[in-house]
Amino acid sequence: MHGYEIANSIQRISANVLQVEEGSLYPALQRMLIKGWVTAEWGTTAGNRRARYYKLTAAGRKQLAVEMSQFERVIGAITRVIEAV
Amino acid sequence: MNWLRELARRLSMLMHRRQFDADLEEEVRLHLALRQEEQFESGMTADEARAAARRQFGNATYMKEESRIAWGWEWFENMAQDVRYGARMLRKSPGFTAVAILTLALGIGANTAIFSVINGVLLSPLPYKNPKQLVVIKEHDSLPNVMDIQRQTRAFSQGGGINVEPMDYTGGTEPVQVLVGRVDAGFLETLGVQPVLGRIISPGEDVQGGPRLAMVSNHFWQNYLGSDPHAVGNTIQLGGNSYTVIGVMPASFAPPVEHADVFVSLWVDDPGGAAERDLHFMHTYWRVKEGVTLAQAQADMAAIDRRLAEQYPAEEKERKSHLVPLHEWLVGDVRSALLVLFGAVGLVLLIACANFASLLMMRALAERQELVIRAALGAGRGRLIRKTLTESALLSVFGGAAGLLFAKWGTSMLLALRPENLARLNGIHIDTRVLLFVLVVSLLTGIAFGMAPAWIAARADVAEALKESGRSTTASTMGHSIRRILVISELAVALVLLVGAGLLIKGFSRLRSVNPGFNSSGVITMYLQLPETRYGKIPRQTQFRRELLTRLDTVPGVQVAMVSDIPLGGNYVGHRLVIDGRPPVAVGGEPLVQTLSVMGDYFHVMQIPLRAGREFTPLDREGQPRVAIVNEEIVREFFPHEDPIGVRICWAGDVGPPRWMTVIGVVADVKHSGLNQPTDPAVYTPFSQNDERWRRFMTLAIRARDASPGLVEEVKKQIWSLDGQIPVSDVHAMDELIAVSLAQQRFNMLLLGLFAALALILAAVGIYGAISYSATQRTHEIGIRTALGAQRRDVLRLVMRDGAKIAFLGIAFGIAGALALTRLMASLLFEVKPTDPATFTGVAILLALVALAACYIPARRAMRVDPMVALRYE
Repeated sequence: MHGYEIANSIQRISANVLQVEEGSLYPALQRMLIKGWVTAEWGTTAGNRRARYYKLTAAGRKQLAVEMSQFERVIGAITRVIEAV
Repeated sequence: MNWLRELARRLSMLMHRRQFDADLEEEVRLHLALRQEEQFESGMTADEARAAARRQFGNATYMKEESRIAWGWEWFENMAQDVRYGARMLRKSPGFTAVAILTLALGIGANTAIFSVINGVLLSPLPYKNPKQLVVIKEHDSLPNVMDIQRQTRAFSQGGGINVEPMDYTGGTEPVQVLVGRVDAGFLETLGVQPVLGRIISPGEDVQGGPRLAMVSNHFWQNYLGSDPHAVGNTIQLGGNSYTVIGVMPASFAPPVEHADVFVSLWVDDPGGAAERDLHFMHTYWRVKEGVTLAQAQADMAAIDRRLAEQYPAEEKERKSHLVPLHEWLVGDVRSALLVLFGAVGLVLLIACANFASLLMMRALAERQELVIRAALGAGRGRLIRKTLTESALLSVFGGAAGLLFAKWGTSMLLALRPENLARLNGIHIDTRVLLFVLVVSLLTGIAFGMAPAWIAARADVAEALKESGRSTTASTMGHSIRRILVISELAVALVLLVGAGLLIKGFSRLRSVNPGFNSSGVITMYLQLPETRYGKIPRQTQFRRELLTRLDTVPGVQVAMVSDIPLGGNYVGHRLVIDGRPPVAVGGEPLVQTLSVMGDYFHVMQIPLRAGREFTPLDREGQPRVAIVNEEIVREFFPHEDPIGVRICWAGDVGPPRWMTVIGVVADVKHSGLNQPTDPAVYTPFSQNDERWRRFMTLAIRARDASPGLVEEVKKQIWSLDGQIPVSDVHAMDELIAVSLAQQRFNMLLLGLFAALALILAAVGIYGAISYSATQRTHEIGIRTALGAQRRDVLRLVMRDGAKIAFLGIAFGIAGALALTRLMASLLFEVKPTDPATFTGVAILLALVALAACYIPARRAMRVDPMVALRYE
């Protein structure tokens, strides 16, 4: 996916709940590029325009798994705390 | 390995920065365009759609910056930008740039030149195996003692000695004199030399009656053996004997102190001398065992000395051996001179830096308006400091590079000027250590001395400064007082250097005016040595000498005489003196006096005045009553209240009944060992009454009315007409020997004088800059004063008073500093106290005059200020 598609899909999937400035996506992508979690390659869109496509790497998937489990632990903890109230 | 890959990615981004920016730009553009289309399709107008897309995206510039910062090269880009900007600024003001770079280049260049000498002489290891373990015994020793020490020592792993003897080498076209190092087998082994061809002598061959073997220096091999790769096994003729070459030394090898072209075994060459316990003529080198300290070695040596003294009371009663680390032995007397010079040149650098800082400060004040605007536009304080520092670091790096050029030139000048005792220590050149030194010094200079102006720049209060719009302000007053302090320090440091130089100059002129005791001008000397094989017997030696003088008398326009050791020639023989009728002194406790033999009208030729009695005549010869002439020092020391003429003296330790000599005359003292050395008591005897076979050497003293170039050749021809196998060496003009003996002092004086002059110029520039700046600042004030009726004289006084105050403070601090520092150079001074009041006064006056002259120029300019112009100047 290229940047615009990523922004759109975040919006769509989250059903417009997560409304961030779309521009902040780009520094985040750069940081992931440095870490080697994604790779970038120029390609052409359906409308025949040049766009940079980002792809998750194996290292990226691993990191995602790590982040997910971290996130679930935190969410789980928060949920439990809230339910206990 | 992850971080490595990450680093690689970051680096590749740095390499393709431009591509990166373009990619990001395109990406953002696409994003905005797609969003805009989407909004447009949902029914907005084109303008609304664009605005919405932008709103949704956020601050695009900020995002781009954030993306770049993520890669972590921001500091680098800032620096590159600062450097580019700094370079542009420097190009824009070439005058300022040139002065700043030149100032630093002078300071750094002079430092680098001296540092490269220190690096070569004091810091580089000696060219021997494990040189730190090597020590020398200060005292000369005899071979039997050396062998006893080798057997008894527990502190040394190896050791050996050398005695250098000039010998004639008669293989070439003319007989030449070569220096033969007569060594024991331990000598070359101790220094750890690996021959490039063949081998070194083994202990089995280093014995009485052993084979005649020679190890030749690389120099000898190249010059006399034609660099023959098969030289090993050849025979060479030395002193009338055939020696087989067994080894060739590497070119890098030379004995630490001695010059030698060939090495032979002392046992083989001179079995008689080698066996004499009291013939202390070898200089010995020792290798201290691993883990043994110098103090332990010294204690071990003392124990050996005690044993030898007990065992051989007649010869070794007074025995005492002092160990000195070889490095210290070699650089000992040069060390203090070099350190003083290094200190001095460091002070020059300080002055240069003060000037540099003061230049930067002036510039910072001039640019303050610009900095303030930058600050107002949001430049951080750190960023402003960094920008100013980058500029000064840039200047200092350029200064360092230019300094390196100066240093290259300065080093070759130093090498040309270097005195004899530095000449042997080669390796004075600019190497990586020197380059590192330059880099560190220049960067430190730039940063340390760029700090103050940067700080002033950063302190600027934006609102306040903008209001003032360039009028003189608190910051500039502060900058001004810092500059004053800098100039005062410059003057103080310059005074210290001037005092140092003044003291050396005074010492040198004292030294030059020392009466050597003879008239050197027009005297030529040459050294001859009679080969043992044909001149072993004394009558034969005497016959040669007498015949030679007779023949040389026929050369027109010259007077010739001979002496065993020429003054300032570096040779010295001493004997223990016994005076007839005095209470006997313990054996070995007799006073040591210099002994010289002469033939011909020596005192007349050298113009050494006769103080009492008579000179030698041709009748004072073999078979006649033995006579002696003493110098005034003998009279002062041993005959303070009596007439020495007619007193009988002889040498202690003579075998058999004393052979008395009658003192027949007194001559003036001669500086034999150097102009700065005390005169030793000395006794002259006629060569023809000489009873020591080993005195086969002599130096001719030739006084020529006009020294034509053919003279030396003519004398050589006469010598060779008598014996074609006698080498002639050390042909010198006596004036040259005097110059050599002054060389170290001259070197010190010239360099320190040069540094002081540099310091004086830099300090003068400094005070000139400060006064002219403050005078310009006061143009307005001066205009008002003139308008109110102040005379030109008053204006002149106003400005000059400012300069005089600075000069006075600088001189006062300088005198205090000099009093504290010149003590360090006491060892370099000859008959001048480090606190010599005349030098201090003279130097203070000189500095005051120069400082006032430097102030006079801006003062005169201020004096001419037209009040109308000055008042309108606002």
